[in-house]
Amino acid sequence: MADEDRRKFLKVATCAIGGGVGLVVAAPVLTLLADPATKITVTTPTAPLDLGLVEQFRVGAEPRKVDVIAPIVKDAWLAARNVVLGAAWIQRPASDKVVALSAVCPHLGCAVGWDASAGNFLCPCHDSRFSPAGDKLTGPSERGLDELPLQVVDGRLQLMWIRYKPGQSVREPA
Amino acid sequence: MKASMKDVVRDFLRERGLGGERVASVIPGEASFAYVFGTVLMFLFLVEAASGVAMAAFYAPSSTDAWGSVAYLQDQALLGWFLRGLHVHGASAIVVIAGIHLVQTALYGAYKKPRELVWWLGILLMVLTLAWAVTGYVLRWDQAGFWANKVEVGIAAATPLLGGVIKKLALGGNDYGNLTLTRFYMLHVMILPALVGGVIAGHVMLARKLGPTPLGDGEQVSRPRWPEQTLRNTIAIAMVFTILLAYVISTHGADLAAPADPSQAYDARPLWYFRWLFELRELSGSAEKLVALITPAIVGGALVALPLVDRLPARDPRRRLPYVGGLAGLLALICGLTIASLVSDTHSEELAKRVAKADVRAALARKLARENGVPATGAGDVFMTAPMAKARALFDSRCKSCHDAQSKDRKGPIIAPGHGNRDWLKAFIKNPSGDEFWGRTKLSKTDASMKPFQQMQPTDLENLVELIYSESGESDVVEDKRKRGVDVFEHACSDCHAREDGMPGSSAPGLGGVGSRGYYLSFISNPKSALHMGHDKDRSQMPRFDKELTLVERDALAEYLVWLRTATPADLAVLDPYQ
Repeated sequence: MADEDRRKFLKVATCAIGGGVGLVVAAPVLTLLADPATKITVTTPTAPLDLGLVEQFRVGAEPRKVDVIAPIVKDAWLAARNVVLGAAWIQRPASDKVVALSAVCPHLGCAVGWDASAGNFLCPCHDSRFSPAGDKLTGPSERGLDELPLQVVDGRLQLMWIRYKPGQSVREPA
Repeated sequence: MKASMKDVVRDFLRERGLGGERVASVIPGEASFAYVFGTVLMFLFLVEAASGVAMAAFYAPSSTDAWGSVAYLQDQALLGWFLRGLHVHGASAIVVIAGIHLVQTALYGAYKKPRELVWWLGILLMVLTLAWAVTGYVLRWDQAGFWANKVEVGIAAATPLLGGVIKKLALGGNDYGNLTLTRFYMLHVMILPALVGGVIAGHVMLARKLGPTPLGDGEQVSRPRWPEQTLRNTIAIAMVFTILLAYVISTHGADLAAPADPSQAYDARPLWYFRWLFELRELSGSAEKLVALITPAIVGGALVALPLVDRLPARDPRRRLPYVGGLAGLLALICGLTIASLVSDTHSEELAKRVAKADVRAALARKLARENGVPATGAGDVFMTAPMAKARALFDSRCKSCHDAQSKDRKGPIIAPGHGNRDWLKAFIKNPSGDEFWGRTKLSKTDASMKPFQQMQPTDLENLVELIYSESGESDVVEDKRKRGVDVFEHACSDCHAREDGMPGSSAPGLGGVGSRGYYLSFISNPKSALHMGHDKDRSQMPRFDKELTLVERDALAEYLVWLRTATPADLAVLDPYQ
């Protein structure tokens, strides 16, 4: 019986030591793998981005697509310069009013284009249509196009780039 | 309830071919710590696998990104340094334990019939493990891994006949680059794990089947491995792991040198377990490459031949003295050469200086990578992310010899922190031909040079300085003083100088915008223009730089001069870690 007890103790001791060592290896592995999920690994600009002179947009003209370019984006270890984040559709309904609509489709994030023949916006992925003002017309999108904050400083357009969560009717930053 | 649930699961598995009656694995005689090494190695390989998989989630095998991704893992990812340390030092532990395992096997004649295959597979494992380490060392793409690999591939390239092909195959082309990294990465994380895994499986399966060689002679009772032997294995694992852990933590993981740079010399040293070969190569003079190639082949061949030569059934080391002696000699040689190599490195002061310099570069690169990120143009350009780095490099190569205070051949004014600030302007106006200003130029010795204004009223001088300082466009100008300075200028300076933008003075440089970035750009581009030194064209020795340097480079220098105005020597020291 004493031998049985001894064997039992040895078994427990083996499992305890082995489990302890395994834990010291496994825990850091899982910690490291989970770490990026807790961080902002790819930065987005926090300041408005320059889109050039406001005068390049004619009053009352069709929407014009402008690439939104971040001067610098930090992507994990990399610092990339002049990174295209996406595009915005710019309209100037009146000389003192400029509007920017994100070209990211609020349905599932495809790039929305301008359908000149129909005079409205069209997403090529799932055929969502939006009015020139960005309101939802037809198709699966649950909300209209997202307007991006825009201001004019010294005659230059300054755009704030924001990504909103797709696939929902409420406009919420992603 | 609990017991029946257990039975249900057991029956389910048994009916599907899992579980059931297991034949208990047995060992001859008593459980012993002599049998632990194989299991410890197995554990260490598992640590390599776990840490390797975790690191693979961060590593980018490209020549521009590899170093950056390793630096990110090491310095920014949570516990990245720890797993990288486990991986690198765990490999060292494998080499040590495998060495003990091998020596023990050889000492006790455990390679003898019927265990020759186990022995040979073990030798093969040793070779594959070393190759695994070599393919891993280059992946970090820092100076250490890059140059060590260059030497290793260089040695392999000395193979008669096949050398050229081997080199091209190893590098994945004609030179180091992206395809070198992807290739070594493929070998390191796919081919070698699969090979080593397969060979380990064969090695262990055969070893288990044949059982360990009994420690003593004669008949012995077999006992189950579990738990007596398993506990000993586990204790050994825990001990080795504790030492490994302590080492990893005390060294804060593995080192990481500056990014690989083919233009930057580096004292390449192989991984410590190749040090004996390194030393042997050093000692063999012109035959170095051949020696480095043939020695491993001889050592490996001798080990492979051991069971074929030592065929008598006797296993007691005392009755196999020639073999045991030969093995001891080999071991002593390897240890001796390793120590000699490590010791000779500690004797060279020059080497210590170069290593210290390399360490500073490494620390700077990693600091910059942490703060600014690695540029998309490649990790080597991380140095260029330091403020004014490009301008500093240009200044060092183009301007320093004439403008640095330390330069023996200085021909022009000293350019140092504070250049062009109020104190500098004041000192200049008081004595333009002072040694730190025009003193060393041809201009200072002629009548054409500006007269010193030693006698000027202090308030007048201060106001004048404020006016000239305001031309730089700095925002901290005191407007009252500046206005009063205009009168002083009209009275004392305007006969020769002009203050309007783009206007040369009647007999001296125009001062419009002096000290601004645009002014400096214009001056550096063509100092001999009418606007600047045109009046003394022949006595101004400064060459024009509009052909030699690009606009961007000249502008970088101009920006640097503006920055210098408010910089302190300490600011400058930060930019130049070598001073």
